[in-house]
Parts: sequence; structure tokens; C-alpha cells
Amino acid sequence: MLELENLVAGYGGVAVLRDVSIKLDAGEIVGLLGANNAGKTTLINCLSGMVAPISGRILFEGRDISRLSAQQRVEAGIVQVPEGRLVFPEMSVRENLLLGGINARARTHRPRQMDKVLELFPRLKERLSQHAGTLSGGEQQMLAIGRGLMAEAKLLMLDEPSLGLSPLFVQYIFEIIDKLPAEGLTVLLVEQNLMLTLRHAARCYVLERGQVAVEGAADVVMNDPRTRSAYLGL
Amino acid sequence: MSELYQALAQGLLIGSTYGLLALGMGLVYGVSGVVNFSHGDFISLGMFMCLALYSAFSLDPYVSVLITVPAMTAIGAVVYIFLIRPMVGHQFLMVVQLTLGLSLVLQNGILMIFGGQPARTPSVVESKLLILGDVVLQVPHVIAFGVSFVLAGGLYIMLRSTDFGRSIRAVHQNAHAAALMGINVGRVQVLTFALGIGILALAAALLLPGTPIQPTQGLRYTVITLLVVVLGGMTNFVGIMLGGLIIGIAEAFGTIYLAGVLGLLMPYIIFVAIMLFRPQGLTWKSRQ
Repeated sequence: MLELENLVAGYGGVAVLRDVSIKLDAGEIVGLLGANNAGKTTLINCLSGMVAPISGRILFEGRDISRLSAQQRVEAGIVQVPEGRLVFPEMSVRENLLLGGINARARTHRPRQMDKVLELFPRLKERLSQHAGTLSGGEQQMLAIGRGLMAEAKLLMLDEPSLGLSPLFVQYIFEIIDKLPAEGLTVLLVEQNLMLTLRHAARCYVLERGQVAVEGAADVVMNDPRTRSAYLGL
Repeated sequence: MSELYQALAQGLLIGSTYGLLALGMGLVYGVSGVVNFSHGDFISLGMFMCLALYSAFSLDPYVSVLITVPAMTAIGAVVYIFLIRPMVGHQFLMVVQLTLGLSLVLQNGILMIFGGQPARTPSVVESKLLILGDVVLQVPHVIAFGVSFVLAGGLYIMLRSTDFGRSIRAVHQNAHAAALMGINVGRVQVLTFALGIGILALAAALLLPGTPIQPTQGLRYTVITLLVVVLGGMTNFVGIMLGGLIIGIAEAFGTIYLAGVLGLLMPYIIFVAIMLFRPQGLTWKSRQ
């Protein structure tokens, strides 16, 4: 349902992504791996419409969406859970979730969606009126994911969800991620944590310096020596 | 003793309108990072529009708001889209320069059209007084107080409980994350600026009765608004309203108790005093 064709993108005219082509089928969990600065966040920011590509095409559900604005991408169902959570610190958990569902498509069933998200994350239900800035890292991650789910995503892109979280939280969150395809979502999982991603994603792409170095099923990628060298720069 | 109550009452009345003016500036700053140094000149513009409508159609200022508020809101949107938006994100001082230039354009435009003589715009309530015990209040000031508080209350509710209000707060707290929610950040910025200017049009009509106006008065209002905004912590709603009341009271005390120029200095003295001991202004961490 998602196809990137020969994407070239970057900042200030300098290309960070150089000729990247990936594809995702509906209902998959696909991992996007790579060391720091390999271009992972740039890629999902391109998908979110926050970075304009220099060249290449983005096809979503068969349509070329390369020209759509960031707002239109969310309306189309492409939702990002950003790196570092980026919750609205001085708004309550409830308000953050309401904002997650502010796009026109999601707004019509926002109350129902809120109930579903709170069922999924009972911890958030307990802290509904608490300011998001006072939550712990793990709770903020739950909130960020909950916010993403409020948007009625078709494609949910998670940027480094495990960053800075305790192993218990990581396990809890990834259990939820595993359940998402059953809810009709396709997941693009961007992670630095190699082993964690290989356990939960059926297929993976490994980016190295802006290009796809390795791609394939998780176990294939795991055993490919190029994966290791992409991470260690060898 | 009655002088004290008089000063207090007068200060509260005018201070509420100062607070309203500052809310407009604070909202714009929170959402676009722009401090509009032509703020006071837009107030001037609103006042002169009322004057023009009076001269042409004998409209009382309280009636001409029905025209000036929509007109100024539209002007605000146009100014933002064509003049200010291209500069957002550039050096802060460059944006300030731009708004200062705008201030000059507005002042001189008004000067060209209306001439430099102070002018009065009559209103039916102009000379009416409200007497409470020892305190004599001018009815236009009482109306200004009431309307300012109602409008500020309305703004507060809008920010707290509507999606538009939440988008404004979201853009202020993290514009990138707001965009990821599908919020049209650019549109929120235009609308907030236009709203701010619309509020100025209303405030202009509130301040107008009984006040002689002249084209160069803009700066006075800009400075007072800046004092209140900074005192209020730039973007803190309650802090700004409180700051407005404090500056209003300082001004009233100054003019009633102190002679001449010294009286006019009171707001600035109070401002400096508060900022020296509390640089963050009238803000405090929320209890949660």
C-alpha cells in the first residue's frame, strides 16, 4: 500500500536519502533499521510531508501523494509517532489525545476512539487530567502512540519507540505494536535496536548513509553480514 | 481614603482593557514568535475608523464596531499573509523592524488622511457617570471593563475547550508535533493574528469615548501592551490579565497621587520593580 520510488531527499539541497526505494503491503510490520544519521527520520519525515523530496515519488494506496501537504497526509491516514515522543507538555493526557484525533476523518468518532485507546493503555486512563510533561518516559511513549492511534491511521510510523525506556515498558509497548495489524493498521517501525526490531517486524530494510544496504525477511537480514557492517561502519 | 478607592477602581477598569490588548499580542507571540511593534497603531487605526464612520454616518463607536471588527480582522489576515509570514523564522529583530516600519506607515497614513489635530469622537455615553459611594466612575470605562472581561473570559473558554483553541496551544507548545497531528500550522498563525487585530478593533472602540485621539498615539499603547505582556510572562493567560490590572492600577495611582510626569512613570517603575524580583513575570508552575 506504500511505495517509495527512487526517493532523493535532504536539507538545504544536501541529499540525506539517495535513491531509496521501499515498499510496504497492507497489514505488515516493516522495520527500518540503520545507524544514527542513516536517514531513517528523514525518510519518515518525507512520508509525513515535513520534508519535501528532491526527486522521486511516493505512492500511497495507488495514488501519488508526493504533492500533498503535511495536513493532507494525516487526513489520508499516514500518521507519525515522532522520535522523543513530542507530547504537548502543558496539556493534559486527555487534551493530547483529543489533539491526536483532530483531523477531519478522525474527529467524527473521536469519543469512541478515545475509549478504545484508553482501554489499550489503562495507565493513561488513570492519568487523564495530568499534564503530559509530568509523565514518565514510558507513559509519554504510551501517550504518543495513543495519540497516533487517535488519528485513525492506516499507516502508523513509529520513530524509535524504545528510546530511553525501561525493558518492561519496551516489552509492553511492543506487545501493543504486535496487535496493530489485527486492527487494520500497517506499521513502519524505525528503530536503532536491531534485535528488538528483528523480533517484531516480518521484513526489514537497513539504511546506510542514505541508501538501502540490505532488505528482506527478518531472519535473512539478521544473518546478512552487510547488516552488521552497516551498523558498525566496517 | 476615597482617593484610594477611586484610583483602585479606575485602575481596574482601564487595566482590564490593557489585559485584553496584551492577550492579543501574547497569542500572536506564542503562535508565531512575532512581537508586533505596530500593535498600538492598529488600535489607532481602529479608533480613526470609528471617527471616520462617525463623520460620515454619525455612528456611535459602540455601533461602528460591527463594521470595524470584521474589517480589521480581514486587514490583519492580509497583513499577516503578505507582510509577516514571509519573515517568520527569520531573525527576530528583522521581524521587529518590519513591524516598526508598518507602524510608521500606519501613523503617517492616518496623519495624511485625518490631519494632526487631536480629534474627539462623540458617543452617547461619553459624559455619563456611575457613582458608587465616594467613587465616581465614567460609564465608558465601566463598559470597557465589562466587555473586556467578558471577551477575555470568552477567549479563555475558546482556548480551553474548543479544537481551534487547542490547536493554538499545540502550535505554541510544539509546532512540529502540531503539524504531525494534521494541524495546519500556517492557517492557525494567520487566524490568530487576524483574531488579535480584531480584538484591537473592539478595544479601540472601548477606549475611544471621551478620549481625544491623534495619529501618533500608537506608540503609547504599544509600550503599555509590551509592559503587560512581559509582566504576564509573554504567553500566560492569567498572568497577562493580572499584569493588565496591575499596570492599570499603577497608572491610575500615578495620575491621582503624583504630579505630572512622575505620575506617568508609575507603570514603568512598578514594571521594573516586579521584573527585578521576578524575572519570569507573573507566571508560576502549574500544580499538577
